[in-house]
Amino acid sequence: MSQSLLAGRRWGDARQGRPAWLLPLVADPGAMLAACFLVWLVATAMAPALFTARDPIAIAPRAAFLPPDWAHPFGTDASGRDILARIIWGTRSSLLIGVLSTGLALGVAIVIGTFGALGGRLAERCVARLLEVLFSFPTLILSLLFAPSLGSGTRSLVLAVGIGSIAGYGRLVFGQMRSVREAGYVEAARVLGHPAWRTICVQIVPNAMRPLLVTATMGVGQTIVWASTLSFLGLGAPPPAAEWGTMLVMGRDYIAQAWWLTFFPGLFIVLTSLSTTVLGRALQRTLAAGGR
Amino acid sequence: MNAGVRTRRLASGLLGRAAGGGSVLFVSASITFIALHIMPGDPVMAMLGGPTADPSPAAIAAARHEYGLDRPLAVQYGLYLWRLLHGDLGVSFSQHMRVAAVLREQAGPTIVLTLSALAASWIVALLSVLVTTRRNRWLDGAAASVETVGASLPHFWLGIVLLWVFAFRLQWLPPAGNSLAALILPTVSLAIPLGGFIGRVTRDSFAAALDQPFVLSARTRGLSDWQVRVLHVLRHAVLPGLGLSAWAVAALLGNAVVVETIFSRRGIGRQLFEAVSMQDMPLASGIVLFVTCLYVIASLLIEMLSALIDPRLQGARR
Amino acid sequence: MRAEHRGRAARLAVLSALVAVAGCHRPRTSVASKGPLRGGTLVYATDREPICLDPHVAGDMPQVFVAEQYLDRLVSMDRDGHIRPWLASSWDISPDGRSYTFHLRHDVSFTDGTPLTAEAVRANLDQMRDPHTQSTTAGGYIRQYVGTDVLDAHTAVVHLSRPYAAFLEVLAQGFLGIESPRALARSRDDNCQSPVGSGPFRIVRWDHQSDIVFARNPDYHRAPPTARHQGPAYLDGIVWKFIPEPQVRFASLQAGELDVIDNLPPEDELPAAKNPELRLLVADRPGNPTHGMLDTRRAPFNDIRVREAFVCSADIDGALSSVFFGRYRRAGGPLSPTTPFYSPDFEHAKDYDPLRADRLLDEAGWRRGPDGIRERHGVRLVVEIPERASLAPADRTLWEQVQATARQTGFDVRLEPMSDTQANQRVADWDDDVALGYWNTNTADVLRIVFGSAFLGRTGIGGHHQNNSGFSDPAYDRIMEAALETRDAARRRVLYHQAQAIISSRYLQITTYPQTTRLAIRSDVHGVRIEPSLGVTSLYDAWLSR
Repeated sequence: MSQSLLAGRRWGDARQGRPAWLLPLVADPGAMLAACFLVWLVATAMAPALFTARDPIAIAPRAAFLPPDWAHPFGTDASGRDILARIIWGTRSSLLIGVLSTGLALGVAIVIGTFGALGGRLAERCVARLLEVLFSFPTLILSLLFAPSLGSGTRSLVLAVGIGSIAGYGRLVFGQMRSVREAGYVEAARVLGHPAWRTICVQIVPNAMRPLLVTATMGVGQTIVWASTLSFLGLGAPPPAAEWGTMLVMGRDYIAQAWWLTFFPGLFIVLTSLSTTVLGRALQRTLAAGGR
Repeated sequence: MNAGVRTRRLASGLLGRAAGGGSVLFVSASITFIALHIMPGDPVMAMLGGPTADPSPAAIAAARHEYGLDRPLAVQYGLYLWRLLHGDLGVSFSQHMRVAAVLREQAGPTIVLTLSALAASWIVALLSVLVTTRRNRWLDGAAASVETVGASLPHFWLGIVLLWVFAFRLQWLPPAGNSLAALILPTVSLAIPLGGFIGRVTRDSFAAALDQPFVLSARTRGLSDWQVRVLHVLRHAVLPGLGLSAWAVAALLGNAVVVETIFSRRGIGRQLFEAVSMQDMPLASGIVLFVTCLYVIASLLIEMLSALIDPRLQGARR
Repeated sequence: MRAEHRGRAARLAVLSALVAVAGCHRPRTSVASKGPLRGGTLVYATDREPICLDPHVAGDMPQVFVAEQYLDRLVSMDRDGHIRPWLASSWDISPDGRSYTFHLRHDVSFTDGTPLTAEAVRANLDQMRDPHTQSTTAGGYIRQYVGTDVLDAHTAVVHLSRPYAAFLEVLAQGFLGIESPRALARSRDDNCQSPVGSGPFRIVRWDHQSDIVFARNPDYHRAPPTARHQGPAYLDGIVWKFIPEPQVRFASLQAGELDVIDNLPPEDELPAAKNPELRLLVADRPGNPTHGMLDTRRAPFNDIRVREAFVCSADIDGALSSVFFGRYRRAGGPLSPTTPFYSPDFEHAKDYDPLRADRLLDEAGWRRGPDGIRERHGVRLVVEIPERASLAPADRTLWEQVQATARQTGFDVRLEPMSDTQANQRVADWDDDVALGYWNTNTADVLRIVFGSAFLGRTGIGGHHQNNSGFSDPAYDRIMEAALETRDAARRRVLYHQAQAIISSRYLQITTYPQTTRLAIRSDVHGVRIEPSLGVTSLYDAWLSR
């Protein structure tokens, strides 16, 4: 990604007494909202029963397709289940997919990127070529090719989306590592006689990772969208899982009669993606302004 | 530098690119082969008819032999690569047609969709950036927010909602078909998220470029704000977005799978999904290779375009 | 919407003008009374595209729908199940039931000019039997076929290895339509693209993933007795489009871009019924209804009490009232109501009765565990159901509801979505507990194919088996063989009744609803029929009043 993404706007001097990282959040209402929403999501993921009393998988076929009203704020689905309850219970799997697949992709990308950047010329050329190929594979097609072999379910969604995201993070890590290894403080460490592994762990990796934090935060939202796209293609979690992507897909056929089946799960996917993006950009501004 | 050196550099650059492209295709083909072979399930049963089929043992053996599925894996891989080198993409077993024929029929609509979505997203992004960056704090912030929201919209959700609103309820646009009017909704579904993304990236670099000293000197020379923006700053600002466009082409080709399904459009995206579920290896690998080719061509073109815009990039190795 | 309003306003204006001029109130004459008009092109849309237009190759429903428009068969079947002449004007059956002598019409030729001869019949039957054709349906139905003798240009004697009372019924199906021998002589893949028949339309071209274009056959004069007229078709041509997305298909019909759609999804039936510009045409298809077949070869369904408990735990009526909007009928027993020799005695054997299910499971030794799922000897009561990717959304929801109600009885039902290929493989390997499916055919002999022990074995290397229940009972097999050996309808009725009784009492499947053909037709399109043998759309009698 370009340098300009990392530049960002400049903020005023940090106010006395407040931690530097808090300032952009407080001053930026968008980021505050995003953070609150994400905190709420995490809370519902951890304890869904606190937020809704209804059972997400108990069916009531005679109460199917009820429009939103006081009893069912988001309406009921094709089997009479309350959609709000299902969205709340589905938060756990959706967030888990987002976080785990990003983590997986990041982990593999760090290994590949470090190996390529620090392993010598041949390694560098191989990794560069591999990353270029992976990058040219549209993420969706890569996930599509491997998803049937992985079966269906949350675990395979994590793997499929994770595999597809490796290329993007890989390039970032690779680029960062390469620029950092030429940096002044690395040179200084070498001159001072520090062992290579210490240089890597203490100097190179942390400095290369900082921009990654931003990308990873935004990436969580992106992977949730990707996962729901794969659910759309039929590769999602099996019933009766209340996963947002699966709910959206099942509601698609009834959009003319019952728009709420598709609208609300989609809305939550959008809000999650939006929140992580906004939060990510706020983090970016913090890092750019705070610096080390 | 003189013309001779420049030509030689260009030629070696092109050759390097061609070799790079070749290796990309090779790895693509191999990845597809691996993916389709580790899939559980028997492709022969898939092609011999639906749930009410009653294939005789001889029919199954004949099908297996015909498609070379009774040979060992390494032999199949070798044959597969050999045929690809000769440009023989094989016969699709789910369609009973040559893969090249399927590509000829179906690739056109997908390419049209991809190009129009790319064009539309750039137009939207540029308009938004040119008009609103650093003009007015409120406008700038609003436009940036719109771009961010746009970039977060899943394109298939957008497609479903647009289809419902404009084709089913208001009936302003046809819900399916291959006409120009039927191209609008799919293009918009793809262009809004991508346009938002490109817009944000370009907006950041545009804002950064506006801080550069050459802008000040251009203004003191008497150029109007518009002239400064379009003639000078834009060239710097589009570079990051342009670099992303190659990736964007790949992403659009991938997203075409979903959009073509929602809007019942012909195209290789939908075709790929069906090929994968039928484990139709020749067709799936043919489409993947084709998409990879398009990406290689697109990134080549974009590199040349970038070099044109920013002469510093000419001859530089990335 | 605007176009419709404009049209309606215009019609109203004209009508009121007519009334004003005529000076008296005349009821608007029905257009149909003017008689069929010739000309026009009908636009038909369906969801699935065939992989090959020749119905002899493979053999799935999309193919036979297309085949109905351009192929004729040797015999036809009417609504009562009787076999009537078609390309064969008469036939004789040898006393041992193994030789059928067909006397063909003399005046038939295919659209490529080749005349219909006994040789053509032989070429067709041989091609169906040839392994290279990969004919799974047609070839599967004529496993008893040995060969054909050509006595003269219009007399063919077909020899079978055993008596086969269902032979004529099977020949009346579109899968065994008669094609031009000259066209058949080409490669199989060439014939897939542009097969040639003798029917009311001929195929002009096939644009993959888009449509098939048909043109009228002007020399057609051999409609079957079940048709409403004789002579060439009224339409100039047909455009047969493929629009897989159900909502898009229906919206295009409402917008007037399509004339007829099939596979009307359940959620669109009420809007279609309420729309005055549309008409619904629904017909049941004969055969074994849509079902979930229980695998009796492995636990837990090797115990008949568990099978019965599972069947009693499924609230199919609830599903039909919710996600099928009450428009689909519940299936009664192992045969669909329009199948010859169907008996209504088994309709309530499968009602939802959770108390009985609880009792049966307790008897069988399955005790409830801490999470409500029953266990026995430390093993949970798990039911695995592979779901094909091509399964319709309404069916998915139906099985989700079965999963929910069965859970209340203590079953842990696992629905596993996967590609069609993988799902077929799982069933072929007997690695499933419930196999979802249906079988459309115009003969009660389907019970032999679906439950007979001859169809248990793998049909080849990795081949799958038609009998997915694992049911194997020699007494049952003898009944089915006896039903094939006699052509006496009364005797066949008795035998098939016994067969249905056995199947029903063994709880081998959960039948949900009969397969149906559901068409939505615009009001200015007339004469669209659903033909009786397989419930396939026939556009031969169709005409447009515009």
